[in-house]
Amino acid sequence: MAARKPTEKTLGESLRERGVSRRGFLKFCAATASMMALPPSMAPAIAAALEKAKRPSVIWLSFQECTGCTESLTRSHAPTLEDLILDVISLDYHHTLQAAAGDAAEHAREQAMAANAGEYLVIVDGSIPGPDSNPGFSTVAGHSNYAMLMETVENAAAVIAVGTCATFGGLPAANPNPTGAMSVMDLVKNKPVINVSGCPPIPMVITGVIAHYLTFGRLPELDAYNRPMAFFGQSIHDRCYRRPFYDKGLFAKTFDDEGARLGWCLYELGCKGPTTYNACATMRWNDGTSWPVEAGHPCLGCSEPKFWDAGGFYNAVSVPTSASGMNVLAAGAAGAVVGGAVAALAKKQTKTAVTHRQPVTVEELEAKL
Amino acid sequence: MSELTLERGLAAFRAEVDGPVAAFFSSCVHCGICAQACPFYLETGDPKYTPILKLEPLRRVWEADFTLWGKIKGLFGLNHKVTDEMLAEWEELLYDSCSMCGRCSMVCPVGNDLALMIRKSREGMVQAGHAPEGLIAASVRAIQTGSPMGLQWKTLAVQINHVQTSSGLEVPVDKEGAEYLVLLSSMEIINFPEYLEAITKIFDHAGVTWTLSTQCFEATNAGIQIGNKDIAAQLVERVVAAAEKLKVPKVISPECGHAFTAIRWEGPNLIGRPYPFKVFHIIEVLDELRAAGRIKTEGMETDRLSMHDPCNLARKSGVIQQQRNLMNLVAENFVELKEHGKFQWCCGAGGGVSSNERAEPLKMAAFKRKKAQIEEVNPERMVTMCATCRTQLEEGLEEFNMEIPVVGLTEMIAEHLVEKN
Repeated sequence: MAARKPTEKTLGESLRERGVSRRGFLKFCAATASMMALPPSMAPAIAAALEKAKRPSVIWLSFQECTGCTESLTRSHAPTLEDLILDVISLDYHHTLQAAAGDAAEHAREQAMAANAGEYLVIVDGSIPGPDSNPGFSTVAGHSNYAMLMETVENAAAVIAVGTCATFGGLPAANPNPTGAMSVMDLVKNKPVINVSGCPPIPMVITGVIAHYLTFGRLPELDAYNRPMAFFGQSIHDRCYRRPFYDKGLFAKTFDDEGARLGWCLYELGCKGPTTYNACATMRWNDGTSWPVEAGHPCLGCSEPKFWDAGGFYNAVSVPTSASGMNVLAAGAAGAVVGGAVAALAKKQTKTAVTHRQPVTVEELEAKL
Repeated sequence: MSELTLERGLAAFRAEVDGPVAAFFSSCVHCGICAQACPFYLETGDPKYTPILKLEPLRRVWEADFTLWGKIKGLFGLNHKVTDEMLAEWEELLYDSCSMCGRCSMVCPVGNDLALMIRKSREGMVQAGHAPEGLIAASVRAIQTGSPMGLQWKTLAVQINHVQTSSGLEVPVDKEGAEYLVLLSSMEIINFPEYLEAITKIFDHAGVTWTLSTQCFEATNAGIQIGNKDIAAQLVERVVAAAEKLKVPKVISPECGHAFTAIRWEGPNLIGRPYPFKVFHIIEVLDELRAAGRIKTEGMETDRLSMHDPCNLARKSGVIQQQRNLMNLVAENFVELKEHGKFQWCCGAGGGVSSNERAEPLKMAAFKRKKAQIEEVNPERMVTMCATCRTQLEEGLEEFNMEIPVVGLTEMIAEHLVEKN
């Protein structure tokens, strides 16, 4: 992948050249609009903006990572518009995907940085050994990860951290963190950082963020962890199709009991859905085929900070993970009492409503004829 | 005698507000995408047919009685009340212009199940005395005679005789311990008796033991369509009693959409206990037999065929691949409608619309969506697996002077069975 200036072609033209119909393109825009909770009337605006947008230059840096995030993005589902959008951004540097090697590859990165100074996007996957760590822990072409990151973001428009390693440190930063791994937002303070967490993250979220950036020229609304609200605004639990079983108190106790076979709630098997914010439950994986809970496994909470150190994957979330829990327990108990009272009130109301409902008889119906 | 009143209706609306309903109403972002998914809105262009608006009575009850803001507004008398006049106006929106096809639920970006809430709203409408006459009459007949069309066993007995004479095979009746109890819909018995003949041939060919029950032959459930769980539960109980008496492990729902969702999904919740048997749609059974190599066919249909997926079967129950497997068995020139499977378009007649004579013009308007889909691929015949869809397709195509015959998939399979020596 040789370095190129953002080509003269617009995104619309490139897509058309690749055989993507106008209709397919508009469908993508409508899906993007609804994903980002924009009104459907925004779809044409998105289409117009994307049509005209010049392909942004993107430099993709991979540090302490497993390539799972790249796998997720490129192999998610056979060529779809998401992939094509990814394809037609000007991806000027990507360790795994570029053909160039050695000096030529590094040269491509430097050239892209110089040609698009102040305009290019940096995507990072993997965590970075911090400035105080041995720089030899992870290097590319003789540069430490830290040095390369700081040099590359210097003139970037924004940084998108992809995957839990880049966003929160992930596995490399898990206790005892031998390499002193840090996240992108720990290190980059003077540029906007968007976090797309998950191990790996959902591909549509990346393309959604890029589409949003191209459409509005600014980054989407973010939550406290710098994650796009549109995708990380709701907990897995609140959107889980097994939620009714939780509400009824029907839980699978083991992976092969009757409850598991009947598809009951996996809370007691350690599901982290209640504390995890991500879009798996609504967007699902593999072209909308399924997602972990649908496949019968509890959510691991992979898009949350410190998920590796949050106790066992198979411990229920209400089990305290550390011994310093007296205050937490007291607060929890108080909360439970208040919550319980509110819930009881609401329940009572529904119950009264149900008992006030009178069954309909066929005679009553007949009287209406 | 007690009667159906607004107060009872409001109590029923309240009883239908549960966790999901509260979550749905509070998460609606007013995006209007549900309108774009509704054939009744799209083909009339009238914004009152926007699905979420159809739920306004239920939403008002929820807001006034279940939200803090609504209660505060109530103190100042600022709530919009649900009145008898309002419900009279909404009767058209909740019944005539909704086939409960569930396409709106599929596209809602925040995941609101609108079709479920329509079903729940109808509970309130029935109790308030605002259900359409056609559906009331069908419910009364279903309870009193066992069939929404007032059909009796003796009519079915005549059809059984015809089938036995023409096929030379026995139609088993009240056979205890058979593997399958076969249910039928009145519509099939009257309009499509070929169906009974087809399964008689197929089951004989595959060596399946089955039976009809004189105690209960009707699979359809008028209670589900009008939206009353008391009526619906009574009708489900009849099926359960018949299946228990004959000690069958499996029950087959016929080529009818709502009958399948009623007995397969709503049934156990309605009667409040699990079934001692499993429920299948006939298409699921046929595909299982095919996969097990128990259906041997010969010859192929050569003309250009396309297929209509019934909403209740494809979108609501996930039976999508089975009918395609069966089509591929006997059709060499099968072409899909552009939107099919879980995103198919409704024929316009389901959810009680076809039993509600007043809704005829709307039903035909909604059909235009299907018509456009059919014109797009221009088939020589249409195949489907729901008696209501089939009748609607036949009537609709005739209305628009399109000479495209409609056939049932089960019959088509039966025509290709390898003859026994």
